Amino acid sequence: MQNLIYGMLAVPLLFVLAALSRRLSNNVLHALNRLTAAIVSIIFSYMLAMRKPGQIFSEGYFYLDALSFWMLLIVVTLYFASSWVSKSYLVREDKRGYLARTPDQIGRYYALFQLFVWTMLAVLTLKNLGLMWVGIEATTLVSALLVSFKFTRSALEATWKYIMVCTVGICLALLGTIILYYAQFAALGTEKALNWPWLSQNAGLLNPSLVKLSFLFIFVGYGTKIGLAPMHTWLPDAYSEAPSLISGLLSGALCTCALYVLIRNLIIAVPAVGVSYVTTLFSFFALLTVAVAVPFVVVQRDIKRLLAYSSMENIGIMLVGLSVFTSISLGATLLHMANHALIKFVLFYIAGTIVQEFQTKNMMRIHGLSQEAPHTATFLLLGMIGILGMPPFGLFYSKFSIIMSLFAGGHYLLGTVMVTLLAGVLIGILYHVMRMLSGRAKRKACSDLLDHTDAPLLAAMLFASMLLGVFWQQIPVLNNLLVEASRIIAGGVQ
Amino acid sequence: MEQLVMVLLFIVFLQNRIMDLRKAVLCLCAQSAVIAGACLIMGLAGGHGVQGLLPVLMTILVKVCLIPYALFRLIGKLTDPKEIVSGINTNYSTGLSAVFLMLSYLIVDKMLPGVGNRDIMASSMGLILIGLVLIVMRSRAIMQIVGLMTMENGIYLLGLAMTEGLPLVIELGVFFDVLVAVLVLVILANRLNVSFMTTDTNVLRRLKG
Repeated sequence: MQNLIYGMLAVPLLFVLAALSRRLSNNVLHALNRLTAAIVSIIFSYMLAMRKPGQIFSEGYFYLDALSFWMLLIVVTLYFASSWVSKSYLVREDKRGYLARTPDQIGRYYALFQLFVWTMLAVLTLKNLGLMWVGIEATTLVSALLVSFKFTRSALEATWKYIMVCTVGICLALLGTIILYYAQFAALGTEKALNWPWLSQNAGLLNPSLVKLSFLFIFVGYGTKIGLAPMHTWLPDAYSEAPSLISGLLSGALCTCALYVLIRNLIIAVPAVGVSYVTTLFSFFALLTVAVAVPFVVVQRDIKRLLAYSSMENIGIMLVGLSVFTSISLGATLLHMANHALIKFVLFYIAGTIVQEFQTKNMMRIHGLSQEAPHTATFLLLGMIGILGMPPFGLFYSKFSIIMSLFAGGHYLLGTVMVTLLAGVLIGILYHVMRMLSGRAKRKACSDLLDHTDAPLLAAMLFASMLLGVFWQQIPVLNNLLVEASRIIAGGVQ
Repeated sequence: MEQLVMVLLFIVFLQNRIMDLRKAVLCLCAQSAVIAGACLIMGLAGGHGVQGLLPVLMTILVKVCLIPYALFRLIGKLTDPKEIVSGINTNYSTGLSAVFLMLSYLIVDKMLPGVGNRDIMASSMGLILIGLVLIVMRSRAIMQIVGLMTMENGIYLLGLAMTEGLPLVIELGVFFDVLVAVLVLVILANRLNVSFMTTDTNVLRRLKG
């Protein structure tokens, strides 16, 4: 198992070195990039298949349980998908002249992309909370270079905000981690410093007031990275200015990683601070995040910012699921993370394609999509139906379970406000989508840009989300993972 | 140790009033040197031998040498190495810093009662907050980087005072991250200078809503 993890982490790094050597032609880079992602995915699938129910792998610096496997499943799926479609995307960008400024842009893009995924894989496999912090900070730095990839004025602005806000936030998380270490130092000594399994076993022995203080800092810190209001200001800028493939990864994978680290800290904090504290803290910020997103969704003009605010809404729902803290809501939250990642990736890719087709991000100038580009329009409509939580897609099931558990837990007011806000998001997004789909294109003909490599993949991802919504209980591997993972999160209050 | 803390606070307050970018970086350099000194004292007192001295060397290498070097190279490329703000601005930020320093003494007394090294803890908490003040109140990119580093130094000192420093692997990771963060920020500031002809972040106001 350890060799497999080493392999999974070594292959992308080898690719980065090869891409940075600047000796490879673009075609070789495209092929090698896909090959790297395929190897990593195969290694991970093998690990997943070899895993027995309930098995925990813990050795050296690595720790893999059901929770990390679930998150890895999300990240590796998005990794494979985005490296599979990146060739068609980059070639189209290149034709439009967006990449023409310096010669070896594609090598630089691929090197950064693989490094970005590598940092996320590292975060998900590590055992130590301090090293997880190092990994999360590294994801910020690498992805900042990806957000500013085109070095346009607005991309620079977005990146500057992103890196400043997130680094300050992450510094607070470091402060929280140090206080947690101090609590461990006082109760358990220096042995196994910040080691997650050790801390979670002995969470009851830590000084509650210290843990509370540390968790507050950790929550604000990683919350900044997740994009909770009011620390969300970087999020719409970064998502809208990054290349669309990277926006999909930022929303689906990076957010998952940050939430994963927050959950790991949460598991340690719950026995010390109690569930009600977590419920109050999480539900307040969740509601605030959704409430902030709603007006911006309704008046939005930029298609990628629309998706960014929809991400905030979904982050809010995930946080609500965590705040209720019952086994149903926790399982639904994990399911929601996977579904959101799948569908949001498809949507960002489609948005990128629409931007290439119409050469504008302004939705007011995009009309007649269903006539001009029927394939793109179909995917956009299906994806939007998915993200709004309508059947048959998986988000329907997970959103429904979270809201239901909210009412079942007796949080009637919270549930009512949440449903009202979600209705606002639904109306806002549907209005914009329908406006884009209908009518007549005012520009001269803009053809469908999806080709035979990316369209099937997008269809497969939508189909996977459908499976995750309806049949996940029938797939033993997924079902085991999900049940075990939600049990791990709830472990602190057993 | 108390003398070091006093010097540190003096430097940080001075930083609030400096308008010249080069002097601000020099100040940052001095601040990091003081942190390295504190680290050395702690390392010698801890009695961990060579392992205790590695963080000192890393601090000197990364924070006293490499980061200021990168910032100085960036400043060399700029056309106007001064920050243009009115005098009132610095008075506000100095006053705010003083308030925050008192606040951090309160935080340490209330939240972490009975911890040793009260002065060091409070001043490092103050350092974190003053770094935040610098980031918020200053508009030049380099000043914001200096503020970020001040904040990081504060967190590092707090960790040192509370727990005799984090485990070595994590500490190395943090140093690496800090170094890369500053390098990325320097690259971006350089690009800002090329695209906007200035590193004043007040020009960044296009993305809204």
